[in-house]
Amino acid sequence: MLKRILVAFDGSEPAMRAFRMALELAEPLRAELIVLAVAQLPEPAAMVESSAMLESATEHYEGDFQKLRELAASAGNAIDTRVVVGHAAEQIVHHAAEEHADLIVMGHRGKSLVERWLLGSVSKRVISYAPCSVLIAR
Amino acid sequence: MTPVWTQAALWLGLALVATLFSIWFRVATALSEILVGILAQLVLAALVGTAVLGADESWVKFLSGTGAILLTFLAGAELDPAVFKLKWKEATGLGILAFFAPFLGCTAAAYYLLNWNVQASWLAGIALSTTSIAVVYAVMLELGLNRTEFGKTILAACFINDLGTVIALGLIFAPFTPRTIAFVGGCLVIVPAACWLTPRFFRRFGDRPSELEAKYLLLLLFGLGALATWADSEAVLPAYLIGMLLAGTVGKDHVLVRRLRTLTFGFLTPFYFIRAGSLVSVPALAAAPMALIVLLLAKMVSKSIGVYPTTKAFGYVQREGVYTTLLMSTGLTFGTISALFGLSHELITREQYSLLVAAVIASAVVPTLIANAFFLPHYLIPKRQDSAGIEGASESQRAVRVPLSGLSSDLDGK
Repeated sequence: MLKRILVAFDGSEPAMRAFRMALELAEPLRAELIVLAVAQLPEPAAMVESSAMLESATEHYEGDFQKLRELAASAGNAIDTRVVVGHAAEQIVHHAAEEHADLIVMGHRGKSLVERWLLGSVSKRVISYAPCSVLIAR
Repeated sequence: MTPVWTQAALWLGLALVATLFSIWFRVATALSEILVGILAQLVLAALVGTAVLGADESWVKFLSGTGAILLTFLAGAELDPAVFKLKWKEATGLGILAFFAPFLGCTAAAYYLLNWNVQASWLAGIALSTTSIAVVYAVMLELGLNRTEFGKTILAACFINDLGTVIALGLIFAPFTPRTIAFVGGCLVIVPAACWLTPRFFRRFGDRPSELEAKYLLLLLFGLGALATWADSEAVLPAYLIGMLLAGTVGKDHVLVRRLRTLTFGFLTPFYFIRAGSLVSVPALAAAPMALIVLLLAKMVSKSIGVYPTTKAFGYVQREGVYTTLLMSTGLTFGTISALFGLSHELITREQYSLLVAAVIASAVVPTLIANAFFLPHYLIPKRQDSAGIEGASESQRAVRVPLSGLSSDLDGK
């Protein structure tokens, strides 16, 4: 039984698809929805720039979250939203464990081979290390 | 004016390229700009000649110096005075240790192991004594430690550490003439007066399209900078002090801080960091790689001696203690500022400058890599039972955390 669903959200179209899917899943089960956005700072974090990026990311996601709240409200649901800082996969896995999520829902972004080679894949890492089931919306 | 506009276009073009690299590779813009400066100097010097960048043109030096002053001011303004008031004793103690241990350790390493002269050794000590507040803060946020007593104390200590660095930079090479006394005396009068006057002045005349606040702050910073350089000191010292002391007023005015950031990042700091990079001699680095390793190790070891025992005193278990110590061994901006100060005041040679900047860049990256790979705090390691069964997976691999760009941008909406 799914009681708590964590949606990894980055404001992209695949993430929106993932959110809609999570909303559909949550509705009949009356599951709690947590929407998590991760602000990833550049490395190494540099003075002043990090604070600026953090502020900008928080504002950006707060704007997105407002739309998600409206969507959820129209489906008769409420959502809990958070912006955290760190590496995307690590934070998703960490918060899924901390919140005792029963399911992680996230979008999938197609990327070039070079991008995959340079950056790896968040979804692959989440699948490998998640403490619960993972649903990748395509 | 044609040569000036042409050179300005070239510098801004390089800044744009550096920013694009920083976005693609997810590295700090400052680091990207330094690296672009190094490459540009190499490539353009080979193709067109060394004078094409004009790094020693007075207008480039002015913009670069203004960038360093404003960046330092903004860094100081990020201090949270409430946290500092609450934990000032512990923070001061830890900050002083975190400054003095690498300052003395790296000075000794440069003097005894690299045979640098006394002044160059002191400068190496100063450049490598810093702690990157940004790196520590970012990790504190990741771990949620920024809300804990420990996290707040460490962050406040980082400000004290960097204050030690700028004070040392401002005073250790000062000739201690009547001008030095005038500078110190002037700071002691002007800085408290500015703290009293600034919020009142802004309340009375500020918040208008004429950007009175920016003009006032630039007047203050340029005036104190002039006083500092007149006394053969360094302009970033009063800038950092003013920033820290105005943190509770100017630092809380988000609109003003944003406008200053736009001016700083959009126009000024590219000149500073690209210039710092363009002065690095790659052949000098290639000729003495061991010296670079000595400087980096000296910083990491001496920071450990200063910081690790304090983390134990706070009751941290070994993994967390080493993790925090390694994070406090990072540094970028103040290290570069110190090295450039040394080069421009002929305290160090171009070769020594190149080694110091390379050591500073390495100290911004290497300790974080080691910390993430081997000393990740236990609460970030998933407790999933079958994780232990992942074939060939080390503890750090099971911890998911991958340093630098090891994680995908699948989920980045920005």
